[in-house]
Formats: sequence, structure tokens, C-alpha cells
Amino acid sequence: MTAPHSSPDAASARFRRTLLRVMAVQLATLLLLWLLQAHYTP
Amino acid sequence: MRALDWVIVVVYLVYVLVDGVRRAKGTRELEGYFLANRSLPWWAVGLSVMATQLSAITLIGTTGQGATDGMRFVQFYFGLPVAMVILGVTLVPFLHGAKVFTAYEFLERRFDAKTRSLTSLLFLLARGLSCGTIIAAPAVVFSAIFGLDLVWSVALMGVPTVLYTMIGGVQAVTWVDVKQMVLIVVALIAVVVVLLVQLPVSPDDALAVAGAAGRARVFDFSFDVNETYTFWSGVIGGTFLMLSYFGTDQSQVQRYLAAKSVDEARSSLLMSAYWKIPLQALVLLVGVLVFVFYLFQAPPILFNPAHERAVRQAAPGALNALEGRYGSALAQRQAAAEAAIQARDNGDAQAVTVAMDAFRARAADAEAVRGEALAMAEAVTGESSRDVNYVMPTFVLHHLPVGLVGIFIAAVLAAAMSSIAAELNSLATVTVIDYYRRWVRPQGSDAHYLLVSKAATGFWGLFACVVATFAATLGSLIEVVNRFGSFFYGSILGVFLLAMIRRARPVGAFFGLIAGMAAVAAVNFGAPAVSFLWHNVIGAVTVVGVGVGLSALRASASPPAPPSSPSAG
Repeated sequence: MTAPHSSPDAASARFRRTLLRVMAVQLATLLLLWLLQAHYTP
Repeated sequence: MRALDWVIVVVYLVYVLVDGVRRAKGTRELEGYFLANRSLPWWAVGLSVMATQLSAITLIGTTGQGATDGMRFVQFYFGLPVAMVILGVTLVPFLHGAKVFTAYEFLERRFDAKTRSLTSLLFLLARGLSCGTIIAAPAVVFSAIFGLDLVWSVALMGVPTVLYTMIGGVQAVTWVDVKQMVLIVVALIAVVVVLLVQLPVSPDDALAVAGAAGRARVFDFSFDVNETYTFWSGVIGGTFLMLSYFGTDQSQVQRYLAAKSVDEARSSLLMSAYWKIPLQALVLLVGVLVFVFYLFQAPPILFNPAHERAVRQAAPGALNALEGRYGSALAQRQAAAEAAIQARDNGDAQAVTVAMDAFRARAADAEAVRGEALAMAEAVTGESSRDVNYVMPTFVLHHLPVGLVGIFIAAVLAAAMSSIAAELNSLATVTVIDYYRRWVRPQGSDAHYLLVSKAATGFWGLFACVVATFAATLGSLIEVVNRFGSFFYGSILGVFLLAMIRRARPVGAFFGLIAGMAAVAAVNFGAPAVSFLWHNVIGAVTVVGVGVGLSALRASASPPAPPSSPSAG
């Protein structure tokens, strides 16, 4: 399924870029949460 | 609460009402009333989406959960970013590009009228009831802590919300949401600052004792379907839940249908993808800091003041005796916490381990005494004595400085009102677009539909307030309503997934939806220990499996038919 009026290739490239950006932010957040747990949970 | 706090709450309520009502100017047609003429900027829609999802229970219940259970609830949201990205490139462009008012309207174009009507009926049933419980949960807490009659608590939240939603439509809902979201974030940050200032220990030491009590544990990698909050239920079940909620629930879909363009709609969802987990972690962290605060400041044995009054009246001697034991246990817990922090400061690893073990033992002793008081409250009142929703309000009312109490209570009202307004707006939209205009009066004028839409908003508002009043007195009803919603959330997602499969036929969608709900009901009653997050996966997968199978059978029995033509709806 792709956006109306946009090519499948363009939509796919946009999806990959967005996915990478969102995942990068989430990984950073999860890393912080992991550090919180690892540092403070005995 | 002091006079200044009440003034802040009243000023907030009046401002919200006036701001919402003035948004009615220029709303003369149905598309303006329900979709703001598809003119809203991404950031306003994004804040509205976040405000809608953040209810009063997030502020008072999730913070309480942070205090009693720690950070692990944040795992519930791990699937959200992935779901937002998937929706941004799949469903959002289609729904926005199709120029529909409701997500269910799209299903008639793809399948048939009965699939549209069944999904929209399920939405009306679930959201109509859940809107009542969204009002009921904070109303019960307000009623207990302020000693207000429950009807007044419901009216405090319900009446202004119904008025501005009814008069101003989605413009009012969205722009008021923006301000409410700002207020909520400001209140949370202010509480964190006050907590850090008031704690007698450093933030590092505070987190260390919280961690020793298990409050800093975030991740649970066990693959246990009976456990609600694990990494895997969050990532897999959570992704399905968020896809269902943001992709097929009209209360969310309507937010981004009002965006200026497909790209603005996508960007609005990505705001949640970026910020939801950090925001939720902040909410839980507030609770964890409240837990630490109450290590150095004696908390009440029962946080629910209504239960405390009931027990004191029924068994004053027993409660006094328990309070005496609780006081001693708290003093020992505090001494153990201080010893643990001292050991940390001295840098002796072995002494730290011993001191932390001692602290955990004293904390368990205090909890055991409190457990006896909770059991007593349950026996006296005949209600569940779980008081997690009362921890944060108790802290706010007794320990925040004057002014900030009013801001926090206004933020709780804002969180409740933003969720209620979005639900009322979406309930009215589905009622008018998917039923009234589709089945009752397809050829009415815009002015007529606008009038009916306002009446529908008022009706659903009244319905929600009545449900809230009854739900509050029947505590278990809230749980029933929540379980009821989980019966078909995943199944509706399954129908939308089927819509993306070219070979899927109307018969597959309709009977697949029924099969999905039956499968979830079977799991729910046959294996009640399976966490509800997995219900969405089971429902969606069953709908797709049955739908594809039935479509293939129909295809082999007859030549392919073109999709249904777009409806008037």
C-alpha cells in the first residue's frame, strides 16, 4: 500500500528514512532506560 | 487545597470553556465541524493526538504505578514507534487521500456496507462506554480526596468538556488539546523539580534506594504470556494494540484526518513516535521519586481517604494499632535507607550490599503491615482497596507548594477533558456519518447535519456522564468495559489489514471479523491468564487468516468481482 500520487519507490525510501530516524531515537531512549536499570538495580 | 489553588482550577475551567467556544466561529458546515476543513498544522494535530491518549489516569494512576511498581510499565509503549511509522506509510495516506470522515467509511468503499456498519457499531459501543469510565476513574478519586459528591465530580469534568466540544467541534477539541498538553507537561516538570528539591538525598542516592526496592527495573525479557508487561508483550502485542488504536479508532483517526495534508498527518503521528516513550518514562519517574520521598516522610497507611474514614469509623482500635506498628516499620525503613545511602557514600561495596539487603527487608516489613490495613479496608468497605490512584493526589495535596497544587489539579482535569472531548467528537462523527447520513437521511443539507452533529455530541456527553456515575459505584464495571474493548480491537485491525490484501472479499472481511472476536472471546474465557496485549495479536491474525481463506473459497466458487463503489457516506 502506498500513498496516492507518489511512486512506490519514493514511498519506500521515505519509509526507510523515517524508520531509521524513529528507531535511532527509540534506541537512544531504550539505552538510557537500560543504563538506569543496570546502574541502579542490584 | 488553598484558595489560590481553587482560583487556578476555576480560571483554567473558564479559560478552556471560553477558548473552546470561540473556536465555533467560522464552523458553518460539516467538514469544518468534524475535520476543521482539513486545515490543521501537524504540530497541533500531534499535540492533540498525545493529549487524547494521555488521560487523567495516566497522571494519577501511572504515577502511582511508578511509586508502587516502578518503571516496568513503560514496556507497554515499546511497540508505539514502530506502529506509528507503519501507519504513516500505509493507512494514513489512504484514509487522508480518500477524503473520508471516518475510518469505517473507507471499509464500505473497499468491502461493503455491513462491514462498515459492524465495525462502526463496535466502535460506538466500546467508546461510548469507555468514555464514561474515562470520566469515572478520576471522578472517584476527586470525590474521595475533596469529599465532593460523585455527581459533582463527574459534572466538573463532563459539563465544560461537553459544552466546548458540542459548540466548537474539532477546532475546539484540537486547539484546547494543544494548551492542555502544554499544561500537563509543565505540571509534570514542575513536580519533578519540587521533588528533587524536597528530597533529603541526592538524585543519585534517590535512584539507588529506588533501585534497591525494584523501582528502577525497566526490562523484563521473559516470554510469559500471563505477564502483562514484558519486553515482548510490549513490542509485539503493543505494536498490534497501537496499530489498532491509532489506525482504526476514530478518536485518533479523526485527529490526523483534520491535518492539512498527508505529510502533515504523518508528521503529527511521528510526534508521538518520538516523544511517547520518553514522556511515559517521565510520568513513571515522578512516581518513583514520590516513592523515595515517602521513605523520608511518613505516608498514610491508607492513601484512599474515603477508605481510611470508613475503617476508622468501623474499627478505630484495630486501625490505631496497625498505624502504631506501621509507624515503627516506617522508622526502621527510613533508618535502613539512610544507612544504605551512607554505605554508598563510603564506597564500601560489601557494606552497600548488606545495607541494601537490610533496607529491602525493612521495606517488606512496612508493606506487610500496610497489606493488613488494605485487607481491613476491603473487608469494611466491600470494595477493592487497591489505592494506587490515590498515591499521587495525596502527595500533591499535602506536599506541593500552594499554587502548584492548583496547577497539578488543573493538569489532571486537562488530561481527562482532552480524552473525553476527542471521544465525544469521534462518537458524534460516527453516529452522524456512518449511521444518520448513511442510513436515515442521505440527502440532508449541511446545516441540518451540523445541527444533528451538535445534538449527537450532547447526547454522547450526557450518556458518558450517566455511565460515569454508575461505573463509579460499580468498580468492576470499569474492568469489564476495558476487557470488552480488547475483544474486538485487534479484530478491527485485522479487517483493515485485509483491506490491503488485493484478493480479500467482503464475505471474508465480515465473517473474518466475527471469527476474530470469537477467537479473542474464547481465549479470554478459556485461558483468562493470557495478558490482554496478546488479544490484539490473536484477533488480528484470526481475521486475516479466516478472511483470506473465505475469500479464496468465494473466488474459487465465482469469478472476481470489482470492489464496491464508493458510498454517499
